Amino acid sequence: MSSIPSNSRWPARLDLLQSASGLALALFMWVHMFLVSSILISNDAMYAVAKLFEGYYVFGRSYPWLVSAAAAAILVLIMLHAALALRKFPQSTRQYQLFLGHKNRMHHPDTTLWWWQVVTGFLLFFLAPMHLFGMFSQPDQIGPYASSYRVYSTHWPLYLILLFAVELHGAIGLYRLAIKWLSFPTMPVPVMRKRLSLLKWGMSAFFIILGLCTLLAYYRLGSTLQDQPGERYHPVTQSQCPTNSEVLS
Amino acid sequence: MTQDSKQRIPVNESEPNSRQLTFEIFRFNPLDPGSEPHFDTFTLEETAGMTLFIALNLIREEQDPSLQFDFVCRAGICGSCAMLINGRPDLACRTLTQALPSTIRLAPLPVFELIGDLSVNTGKWMHGMSERLQTWVHTETEPDLDAMEAAMEPALAEQIYELERCIECGCCVAGCGTAVMREAFVGAVGLNKMARFRLDPRDERDDGAFYELIGHDDGIFGCMSLMGCQDVCPKALPLQTQLAFLRRKMAFAGI
Amino acid sequence: MKILHTDVLVIGGGLAGLRTAIGARRRGLDVSILSLVPPKRSHSAAAQGGMQASLANAVKGYGDNEDVHFADTVRGSDWGADQDVVRMFVHMAPKAVRELAHWGVPWNRVQGGKHNVIINGQPVTLEESEAAHGLITARNFGGTAKWRTCYVADGTGHSMLYNVSDQAIAANIPVLERTEAMALIHDGQRCYGAIVRNLMTGELFAHTANATCIATGGFGRIYRISTNAVINEGMGAAIALETGVATLGNMEAVQFHPTGIFPAGILVTEGCRGDGGLLLDGDGHRFMPDYEPEKAELASRDVVARHMEYHIKQGKGARSRFGEHLWLDIRLLGEQHINHKLREVKEICQYFLGINPVHELIPVRPAQHYSMGGIRTDAHGQSPQLQGLFACGEAACWDMHGFNRLGGNSVAETVVAGMIVGESIADYCLSEAGQGMIDTALVKRFLQQEQDALDGICKSKGTEKASELIKQMQTLMTDYVGIYRDGTNLQTAVSELKSLLERSERVGLQSSAPGVNPELVMAYRLPRMLKLALCVAQGALNRTESRGAHTRLDYPQRDDSQWLKRTLASWPLGASSPTLNYEPIDIMKMELPPGWRGYGKKDFIPHPDADTRQQQVDAIHRKTQNRFERQQALLPFHHLLPEKFHQNNARFQENSEGESP
Ligand SMILES: Cc1cc2nc3c(=O)[nH]c(=O)nc-3n(C[C@H](O)[C@H](O)[C@H](O)COP(=O)(O)OP(=O)(O)OC[C@H]3O[C@@H](n4cnc5c(N)ncnc54)[C@H](O)[C@@H]3O)c2cc1C
Ligand code: HEM
Ligand code: HEM
Ligand code: SF4
Ligand code: F3S
Ligand code: FES
Repeated sequence: MSSIPSNSRWPARLDLLQSASGLALALFMWVHMFLVSSILISNDAMYAVAKLFEGYYVFGRSYPWLVSAAAAAILVLIMLHAALALRKFPQSTRQYQLFLGHKNRMHHPDTTLWWWQVVTGFLLFFLAPMHLFGMFSQPDQIGPYASSYRVYSTHWPLYLILLFAVELHGAIGLYRLAIKWLSFPTMPVPVMRKRLSLLKWGMSAFFIILGLCTLLAYYRLGSTLQDQPGERYHPVTQSQCPTNSEVLS
Repeated sequence: MTQDSKQRIPVNESEPNSRQLTFEIFRFNPLDPGSEPHFDTFTLEETAGMTLFIALNLIREEQDPSLQFDFVCRAGICGSCAMLINGRPDLACRTLTQALPSTIRLAPLPVFELIGDLSVNTGKWMHGMSERLQTWVHTETEPDLDAMEAAMEPALAEQIYELERCIECGCCVAGCGTAVMREAFVGAVGLNKMARFRLDPRDERDDGAFYELIGHDDGIFGCMSLMGCQDVCPKALPLQTQLAFLRRKMAFAGI
Repeated sequence: MKILHTDVLVIGGGLAGLRTAIGARRRGLDVSILSLVPPKRSHSAAAQGGMQASLANAVKGYGDNEDVHFADTVRGSDWGADQDVVRMFVHMAPKAVRELAHWGVPWNRVQGGKHNVIINGQPVTLEESEAAHGLITARNFGGTAKWRTCYVADGTGHSMLYNVSDQAIAANIPVLERTEAMALIHDGQRCYGAIVRNLMTGELFAHTANATCIATGGFGRIYRISTNAVINEGMGAAIALETGVATLGNMEAVQFHPTGIFPAGILVTEGCRGDGGLLLDGDGHRFMPDYEPEKAELASRDVVARHMEYHIKQGKGARSRFGEHLWLDIRLLGEQHINHKLREVKEICQYFLGINPVHELIPVRPAQHYSMGGIRTDAHGQSPQLQGLFACGEAACWDMHGFNRLGGNSVAETVVAGMIVGESIADYCLSEAGQGMIDTALVKRFLQQEQDALDGICKSKGTEKASELIKQMQTLMTDYVGIYRDGTNLQTAVSELKSLLERSERVGLQSSAPGVNPELVMAYRLPRMLKLALCVAQGALNRTESRGAHTRLDYPQRDDSQWLKRTLASWPLGASSPTLNYEPIDIMKMELPPGWRGYGKKDFIPHPDADTRQQQVDAIHRKTQNRFERQQALLPFHHLLPEKFHQNNARFQENSEGESP
């Protein structure tokens, strides 16, 4: 609308960006979880996925920096999203007190969920960059063995927290996106909310269970690798996937 | 009349299992330098059909004549009597004690200026909101009162009324975490009004004009979709639908 | 001493007050409004049914016009109304509806084509004209010959009040919310504003004005059981009375509605009985056929209400902690019907009684509903006794309702009167008479007087409790000055009320909390309510006839020969009871001379001039060509209206001669 001065257009743009970044991240996380859980199928599958992201199937050889780039991009997206979302955080102790007092009085599900979104968002703010920095700095250290070893030896507590945080945060976020932007003219609001809410819990539960299974798989595999740190995985079917050393050589 | 229908008639007098109700009521008189915010406890025997309107008046008549609260229509239509009933905003006049546990905690609505005890100045807040958002039909034309009225689609008139049913009780504001945190947020009540006027063909404002009023972080973009408003609105207005609708329109107008 | 001043002070933020204020503001005057509550909380919001205006857009309204509306209103009033005023009113009502439409009221509209309705228990198919599609529609209401009641679902008053209130905000009219007018400032001839009290801080100050308008609504709360809001205590009428100069008209004319839920008094619709619901007494016995074998529960409103009260007085009521009542039984209608056709009733029952009317009985009792009486004004809304004092809405006796107002005529009155009185006030303020200095000493004296009175109550060592006395007054009024009246009971009421008034001087307070102090509020309102109650009781005692809602057991006939006149009550300073005077209603000026109302009893004592006037009227009917001409010859009224409202109303299907097919 031409009558709106450009400086006051920003609230609309920022709101859209916040939602769009959240949506992108949430969708990314689903894809990510499916990819990571390829370990549940087989070590080879996981290996293939890792290779895929190193561009092997496109360029015929692996470029781990592609993973670094992806990690960096996601990090930027997270920072953008976090910066936008931070505007919504309580801005002072007083606002914290007011909100918590309100939440504790009301016993209202959606209000409480928002609080969980803040808490999980806060956790993600610190934990996601840690993980991402790992992926960024050691992009070549991804694969059935390398990952399992990392999970088993040091990272499992991080992933455990991260898993719960991100799957709750993401699902709540998507639920909120639907509430925020969509109207369902033919359905009474309470019915629509009930259905969306079921969907939301379903999504969280599904991805958390999937994630836990995956994590367990990495952990168990990792525990068998105890004595061989740095051991690289060699696909069973050599013809399909080259070994790392082959590729790197 | 048959014996059967006689037995069905409830006997209101001293029911055998009538409860002893405990009221914990927020007390504070800002004009009294000696007054500190605290909760007072009153007990009352429950009677059939007792509403909080009846109970609070009994307490005032028999136990503490200084207790402040607001009732006007006592029929759930004027929006005067909203308060926190066991933590949730609702209309006190149409809340039956029998729907509540035997300990009932009453507190004034947050966000609004406290007048005393359970009485808050929702009127001032609503007036301020109306002035800020210019919640009236804006039109340049002078009506010709002698001529036939302009036609309007019957369904549209009903849709407008659906949004106009808001009674400015303030429950949605007190039930909104955003409004509780941020004083300047216009609340679902204000946004719903904007949706009402946007729908009204007699209002000549365009989306640009509406954007100027609510296209900011104290307006539609401040709403975090907490849905407290939707769940406490005593008139069950379709607030989610309206908020989402406005957000789409305003985001579109703004980009 | 704090003094605020504006050109115009409007006391009351309901529909009447707001519309008046807007009118005066648009004429360039400086206006402020006082209200006990935020304007949108005023009891105008409670009106559900609708607003009468003869638009004749809906098929069942065809042929309707000002004349039909006029006749319905005058008959409804039992010829107690001022016919000039009724004429002004019916002429203005369509304009008011159209103005409200322009301001945003989403009136329900005509849907062209066929639709099904229930009339008289039978399903009927109506066909609306496609040409009328989208015009303002109307529903059926009691006492009207045509479907004339414009409505917004079941929230007409709410919609009207919200849109008018928003217009007042748009016009930038300041409202002093939670501020109560305590006394009018006057010198016995002219009113200069009011002494007012801030109900949040307890602060007392003066608000002077060149013109003061009282639009404070009804006084239902002098009764124990009322459909009115708890703020409807009649303080506006009371402070006018306390001037000792201004008069209150027809205070004994009080309307009752048969089915207020008990004890809350919230209205449940007549539709419950219309659809087949029954009234039962304390023994579960269906008693209405005993009184009205033919019509039973479906006899007219006042008849049913009268029999219900009688039955309770016979000791047949059901008892509860709150008193006696009867039962409304709609269980026989079945769940399907109740869930679909009586949804509102079901909700009220659920919220307020915690019962499901599908399985349980609804406790009901007739409840006070409307006050036809109020501050007597002339056709321009000004007090004939006190210059510069205006009144409108339910607080006034403008007098278009006489002894019984028709449903839907009341919210219509508020806006119509507002449109007219707003202009009169502006005319007054802009005229010579409305100018002039206000004597500060006078203001000071009134302020001091009020302050002393409040201090007196606070310091009083009296042992009477205001809440107790108010209860006694309300009980007296409901028991003795209710639907059913007779000399003995009214006499008892009058003397008991007088003794309560004496006792009210000995009220003491238990709490001395600074600020508003609800106990103090009750204490100072008590004597004012008692004075109103006395005007009602005394007026009812003196009026030895039955007219409209005023039903005397000992004088069951309407007596036009003696009582074709309006009661005017005043309260001389220092007196212990009201002085009643009577203002004759000139039968020789009536456009519709008194006769049978068309319903109810056919039995009345005619006025000696009734026939003469009827013949004159008939002669004029024969001589004149069209309805405008005829009306002009019978009762010219345009000169009473502001110039800008003189035009005829356009109407769907009506030609310029005022004829419609
Ligand atoms: C339950 C119910 C249903 C009804 N339904 C209908 C209907 O369907 N159709 C119809 O035509 N009529 C109906 N009526 C009647 C109609 O609603 C009222 O008569 C009308 O709305 C009165 O309007 P008002 O502006 O005169 O007064 P109100 O709306 O009562 O306003 C009075 C104003 O005066 C203020 N006030 C009072 N005392 C003081 C004081 N001392 N100082 C300062 N301010 C003061 C109050 O704060 C308030 O703002 C109904 C009435 C009731 C009770
Ligand atoms: C640094 C990490 C993060 C922080 C601090 C954070 C914080 C927040 C907060 C506070 C909100 C609520 C905003 C509002 O209610 O308006 C939010 C919304 C959202 N977040 Fe995050 N978040 C982070 C990371 C993520 C990640 C990794 C995802 C992906 C799963 C994600 C997905 C979402 C979604 C979909 C929304 C809803 C967007 C909206 O309401 O407009 N966030 N985030
Ligand atoms: C491009 C960016 C990313 C890459 C390349 C990546 C890669 C990986 C890999 C390879 C694993 C397996 C374990 C390991 O090797 O350490 C893993 C696990 C995990 N990642 Fe990421 N990740 C990315 C972004 C994210 C983000 C943004 C989050 C959340 C904020 C996240 C959360 C997780 C979690 C929770 C696990 C553990 C999964 C489980 O087994 O339950 N990742 N990631
Ligand atoms: S939207 Fe609902 S909760 Fe909010 S003020 Fe209006 S009626 Fe009350
Ligand atoms: S509760 Fe508040 S945050 Fe928005 S959805 Fe309702 S206004
Ligand atoms: S008193 Fe009017 S809504 Fe409760």
